[in-house]
Amino acid sequence: MITVGIDAGSRMIKGVVFDWDTKKVISKSSVLQGVDQTKLARKLYDQILDIAGIKADDVAGVVATGYGRTRVDFANNIVTEITCHARGVLFYKPGTRSIIEIGGQDSKFIRLTREGDIYDFAMNDRCAAGTGRFLETAAERLELTINSFGEKALESKNPAIISSMCVVFAETEIISLLTSGVPVCDIAAGIENSVASRMVSLTGGKIDKPIVFTGGVALIKGMHNAISNAIKDNVELMDDPLYTGAVGAAIIAVKMWKK
Amino acid sequence: MISNACKFDLVSADLAFDSLRSSQKNLSWYIRPLGEYLRNDNDLILQEIDFDNSWASIWLWNFLLSENERLRSARNKGEKIIGCMKDLGTIPVMAYSLENVRAFYPDGTWWTPCVMKLSDGLFFVSTTQGCDISFCPVRAMLGAFINEEHFPIPDLLICSTGAVCDDFSAISQRLYWLGYDIKWWEVPRRRCAEFHEESVELPSGLIVPRIQVDFIKSELKRVFKILRNFSRSADSDIRLLSDGIRKANQIRRMIMHLRNLIFSSRRCPLPALEELIMEMMATHFCSDREECLLILKALTEEVERRISLGQSVLSEDCPKVYLVNPVSDIRMMNLIEDCGLRVCGTDFMFTHALELIPEDIDPFDALARMVLSDPMVGPAEDRCKHIIREALKYRVDAVVIVRIPGASHCAWECKSMSEKLKAILRIPVLDVEVPTLVDSIESTLKSRLEAISEIVHASKSI
Repeated sequence: MITVGIDAGSRMIKGVVFDWDTKKVISKSSVLQGVDQTKLARKLYDQILDIAGIKADDVAGVVATGYGRTRVDFANNIVTEITCHARGVLFYKPGTRSIIEIGGQDSKFIRLTREGDIYDFAMNDRCAAGTGRFLETAAERLELTINSFGEKALESKNPAIISSMCVVFAETEIISLLTSGVPVCDIAAGIENSVASRMVSLTGGKIDKPIVFTGGVALIKGMHNAISNAIKDNVELMDDPLYTGAVGAAIIAVKMWKK
Repeated sequence: MISNACKFDLVSADLAFDSLRSSQKNLSWYIRPLGEYLRNDNDLILQEIDFDNSWASIWLWNFLLSENERLRSARNKGEKIIGCMKDLGTIPVMAYSLENVRAFYPDGTWWTPCVMKLSDGLFFVSTTQGCDISFCPVRAMLGAFINEEHFPIPDLLICSTGAVCDDFSAISQRLYWLGYDIKWWEVPRRRCAEFHEESVELPSGLIVPRIQVDFIKSELKRVFKILRNFSRSADSDIRLLSDGIRKANQIRRMIMHLRNLIFSSRRCPLPALEELIMEMMATHFCSDREECLLILKALTEEVERRISLGQSVLSEDCPKVYLVNPVSDIRMMNLIEDCGLRVCGTDFMFTHALELIPEDIDPFDALARMVLSDPMVGPAEDRCKHIIREALKYRVDAVVIVRIPGASHCAWECKSMSEKLKAILRIPVLDVEVPTLVDSIESTLKSRLEAISEIVHASKSI
């Protein structure tokens, strides 16, 4: 059985074609989010079907997730990203009890029971603190791309202390640090630590193990270490963190089709 | 015309108005199609919400939207207008005792921006007076006093102080320094009785020291004396106040009965938004007691009719949630239901105003006990116990705690209440800030609410 999961996030739309019989993703792709979200999602859908070499008629079901999920007009069902990320993580890492997911616009902490059911979650409030957007803004201020930002952070031996959670105040703080001659790598590492500590506050201090880190921000170098250090425990990294939500959506599509 | 229970938008509500009205006798003078409030008063938000389709609810909405007009009408007839501030449920009981006096809550203006959206600039006016966005939306009241475009400026202002909301205290003090003569009365922070102290049981079941009740009693006697100067009533204080308590209890009894009918029914007989407004009749819409009773009667009949016919405004499998705190944007009540949840239990911070005031003891003593039952004058722990009792009674599947932006009590109690409720009830608890206008974060609010629905459904399908 072939299903499709579309994760229409705030920064990117991610899509996977999933084969339930082999339990494998047979194609995946992503596109930057834009103004015409419906059109972009459809284009991505056509693209991943094309890569997989299958036709739309062969797809048993499509589930959309992410903040733009309601714009995916060809989806058979929509499910929140909280449920989809949990399904995606559990598929690859059964037994997970805590999920840290940091995306472009929000960050989540999801608690799971031993049986793999969600029993609690926490998300950032409406500001950008602790999200990918915070990192992007900081990278822009340091004249770095988001990829080189992570690489730069890895060079740091003495991370700066960034005390501002607010992205606007953090920008001012970055300028102040640059003026004081603090190396860019130390500022970048300090920013990563700031995002990680924000995430820890979201957990409320109670974290059951195993803990898994996923979402687009998990791709940024240094973030995994920053999260592990902030939590002071071993945190597993998803292999393909950008697509966890989409994979979860595709798996939920299988379950819905079976019903 | 009697139709199946459902929700409809403003256009449909106005289209149905004539046919709904045709079966009604003795219409109240202020009742009109809801669209008129949009056209005449710029209540923009009305075009963005879904209403319950019963006549009783249309009446309820008219009552909500016409309070200022009705107050003006009362003043024109020679009645004295008393502005009660912060106590939520106390001074109106005294006003019910007296002739020629009509009490209302200027605090209720905090709802005006929520109802009128951005059309009236109340927040802007209050900001110019130093009460900016860091304050609770109740600051809208300050703007309404200054621009005089909403309620009539009261003949007398009575405000409780002491163990009350910090934001409200700051705002009312600002009002005082602007020249408004406010009569203050003090409420101490509720505490448990010490071992050696004489104690008293409150209507809420809490045990407090007698000394606290006696102190409030003396404050209430002082306030009643001030109020009597505005009235023609000649009877004794005790007889008058006993009568006021009986009248207040009539409303409270009806609200509690209706609330219980709605929350304990297998199907949902009334939308959460109308249920919220109905509960608020115990406080914000106290200015017209007789009318209030008629509306409650009509709502009760409608709810009973729907229950007997098995009608519901929501699908039957909606997870049941307990809602803590009033919402800053009334569209949130629609949103909760749009996300597949049913509100089955509420603590809108004035639970003390729904409890019956004892009628078999000294009326000042009885009223003082009610004052001390106010959730805001005591620890969050007490509030939690009340929520837990009700959550278990109505068998809710989850709790939604709404944080009001700028409201200091939310900052200090919501997180701890959330942890406590999770630990005791062992059900999902969503703790979320709802801004005065939800537009900017509607998608993230939806994700959170839908996730609660998904989690409950998943747990039930195991």
